[in-house]
Amino acid sequence: MDMSMNFDGELVMDFFVSMLLIGIGVALLATGMFTSYFGAGKSQKIGFALLFFGIAILAYFIVLYPLDENTFMEALISGVSVLSGMVIGMFMILFVLMKVDTVDDLEDLDLEDLEDLDLDEELKKLEEELNQADNKEDEE
Amino acid sequence: MMDIIFSMGLVGFMLSMLGMGLLIAYYGSSKTRNVGVGFLLLGIVLAYYLVEMPSNHLVDTSDVVFWNGMLAFIGGMTGGIIGIVIFLIAIIKS
Repeated sequence: MDMSMNFDGELVMDFFVSMLLIGIGVALLATGMFTSYFGAGKSQKIGFALLFFGIAILAYFIVLYPLDENTFMEALISGVSVLSGMVIGMFMILFVLMKVDTVDDLEDLDLEDLEDLDLDEELKKLEEELNQADNKEDEE
Repeated sequence: MMDIIFSMGLVGFMLSMLGMGLLIAYYGSSKTRNVGVGFLLLGIVLAYYLVEMPSNHLVDTSDVVFWNGMLAFIGGMTGGIIGIVIFLIAIIKS
């Protein structure tokens, strides 16, 4: 495995720091939107501040465009691709787990007892017991 | 460009298989555990494919572009975590 990346410091900074800032921006934007909408009083104000900083960070990349276009797009596409791959993997795992019959202890259940139960008979017994209890109370 | 999308997507898929496979294999019981071990094996096979087969045309892990993508991914994840930590600190301290 060849681990020689031949990076110069500038390129590492371009890829890592740009995506770091984008990550912070997206996280602040999302949490800011959530908090400013659902929060009340002080929390709502904090939400607006977070939203402002999130928009400011993302606007820095969109308006001022501090990086070479190809480098930035490459970094963005890489990040989005990995996240897409992770989401696809998670969905696949959920799908398989839902499809696999995970309840395999049904054989241990004594279903014969349930089959032998006569519900009507049990109901009649209960009614009789209730009637007897009512009769006793009336006699007293 | 398609090479980057495919190779980085495969890395993400491998990471989720390894992570979720480990969790399911450890905490699952009976059939679920078997499924978790299956996911874990799939993740290991994918990792082996990514690491040991740099000569194929689809994924070249010896390429600088691949490691640039990894750097971008690690940076993005770290940034997201830092953003959420900032949010939590702001909410807890208020």
